[in-house]
Amino acid sequence: MTTDTQQAPATPSERTFTWQGVRTVLTLELRQRVRSTRWKVALVVWFAIVGFVAALLPGLVGSSSSGGGTWVFGLILLFVLGLGLVVSPTLASTAINGDRVAGTLAILQVTRLGPAEIAVGKLLAGWLAALAFLVISLPFLGWAALTARVAPWHFLFVVLVLALLLGVVCAIGLGCSALTARPAGSSVLTYVAVASLTVISLIVFLVSIPAVTTEERVEVLTVPLDANAECEWVQTTRSVIHTERTWWLLAINPFVVLADAAPARGPESWDYGPLDAIKEGVRLARTGDQPRYDECWSENYPAGVTPQREDESSDTSPVWPWGLGANLALGGGALWLAIRRLRVPYTTLAPGTRVA
Amino acid sequence: MTEGSRPAIVARGVRRAFGQVLAVDHVDMEVRTGSVTALVGPNGSGKTTLLLMLAGLLRPDAGTVEVAGADPASSAVARSAIGWMPDTFGTWDSLTVTEVLTTMAAAYRLPTDLGRARTTELLRLVHLEEFAATPAHALSRGQKQRLGLARALINYPPVLLLDEPASGLDPRSRVDLRVLLRRLAAGGVTVLVSSHVLAELDEMVDDAVFLSRGRTVSSEALLATTTQRRRWRLRSLDAEALQHWAFDHSVTLYPDNDAPVGGTSVLVELADDAAAARLLASAVAAGVPVASLAPVSGLLEQAYMSLDAERR
Repeated sequence: MTTDTQQAPATPSERTFTWQGVRTVLTLELRQRVRSTRWKVALVVWFAIVGFVAALLPGLVGSSSSGGGTWVFGLILLFVLGLGLVVSPTLASTAINGDRVAGTLAILQVTRLGPAEIAVGKLLAGWLAALAFLVISLPFLGWAALTARVAPWHFLFVVLVLALLLGVVCAIGLGCSALTARPAGSSVLTYVAVASLTVISLIVFLVSIPAVTTEERVEVLTVPLDANAECEWVQTTRSVIHTERTWWLLAINPFVVLADAAPARGPESWDYGPLDAIKEGVRLARTGDQPRYDECWSENYPAGVTPQREDESSDTSPVWPWGLGANLALGGGALWLAIRRLRVPYTTLAPGTRVA
Repeated sequence: MTEGSRPAIVARGVRRAFGQVLAVDHVDMEVRTGSVTALVGPNGSGKTTLLLMLAGLLRPDAGTVEVAGADPASSAVARSAIGWMPDTFGTWDSLTVTEVLTTMAAAYRLPTDLGRARTTELLRLVHLEEFAATPAHALSRGQKQRLGLARALINYPPVLLLDEPASGLDPRSRVDLRVLLRRLAAGGVTVLVSSHVLAELDEMVDDAVFLSRGRTVSSEALLATTTQRRRWRLRSLDAEALQHWAFDHSVTLYPDNDAPVGGTSVLVELADDAAAARLLASAVAAGVPVASLAPVSGLLEQAYMSLDAERR
């Protein structure tokens, strides 16, 4: 009781975003998380599930020599993403409102920490936790990549895209937790957001097909009645599905982003896996139905002489930059929302919330 | 402590509503630098809301707030000058007591070694040294409260805002708190403390700010309550001698309904301490065996009760 309790504090600077501040929040969050046994159990369960699936898959899709490796790699990759999309929302979706309910948020807000430091610190903590799940899946992913003969840099790239997608989900969770008063509400909201990106967007895409289908005059290269004559262009009316108007519904899907970012298929015809199927599908959807159809299926027509018109070749440029960009923008928006909502002093309070 | 220096806390015409509920209607107050000031008022009178605005967490709808010479809402200078202990707060339950404090030190951007030194110092101050490595969730309510106080002190704040700091504290810790706050004030720290334990505040505060229905009660009204006649409890060993003396000296005795059954105490109304001294001398001179003469309630309690009367 003899120590002097008052010393002059260092002159404060007005800087509101420092790495030191982010690290303070990050360390705090990780300490809070890592020490709970629940977390260790979750990691063990995850390892067991991914291992179990990885062990069963080869038996399901056949051995690696007949192209099964490509299938195993693709399926495990998609499975890890799917599991990640299920787990990641829980890692960040209560970060802000949960702290507010527990009475530990305002205590940080009155300090010198800025809202961006708190939000980014919490996001990084959630993301690192999600990455821990990714890291313990790496042995299985790596093994599958080896059997599928995926080049190391390609493998690293796909894992990086996967990591970014999980980060986006964490950011969405953080934004939701800033938006709603109750932790249960933000968890549900985050799952709804993830479902919107993955399942609901796909359903909307399928349901919207009639809406983008129009009856149009098209040219068809068809087999003439006279079997010996050349195929010829005829005008006719057909249903044309304009998926080039709705392809973005597929492009924002994390599964599509991951599949499209996966390495190009090998030269062998059996080097064809689920990732290639998704990739082809989405690129085809982006091109949409052509106004011209080649239906010259005559057997005796000399191969390679089909009067193809060059301007109709489908667009095969990658889709993933768009999808990943959209996802990152979404995550960035959610982070921005969280920062805004953490700013003090509060002018308005959401109904049902207390400051402290 | 310097007289005439700028007040550490100034609020002018502060008002804050939550939707339809007007929590703080009109608050004008000044808190002297280096004083311990009580913030007193019934439940729902706006104490916590006012403290939130002073801590820079809530923006007033109208009026201005100034703490340590700056607006706590916008200034890092003001923010680092404030130590705030909320009425209800949680702890990061997986962190040890030491980690809680070092985290707070880092949040105030204290250098790491200074933060560690300050942590050790504060743990000693609030008698939590032996719990330094204990997870915060294992602490009792009173220990958590002490940790909360240490947390509020981590940044060497010249202004301390304490919302019900004594709740959950055992008697010993309450005495410690009182001593600590007086010592901080002696060192120039301004303390604004809200509490319901008025008897305790009475012993440590220099000033009081009264809140009633979101408004500060004017100092004139306060002055009136404090100069009112107060009731004193007079305990004697001989009820009969007391009765005779009272009759002879025309002293009105009131029955003491709050006293334990079988006691021989009565109540008297007295204007001030001088009147009490005169009464005591007279009773003793008349041979009444007086055991004690003491005010029934403290000044704060008296003033509080008049607020309460106004509420009804």
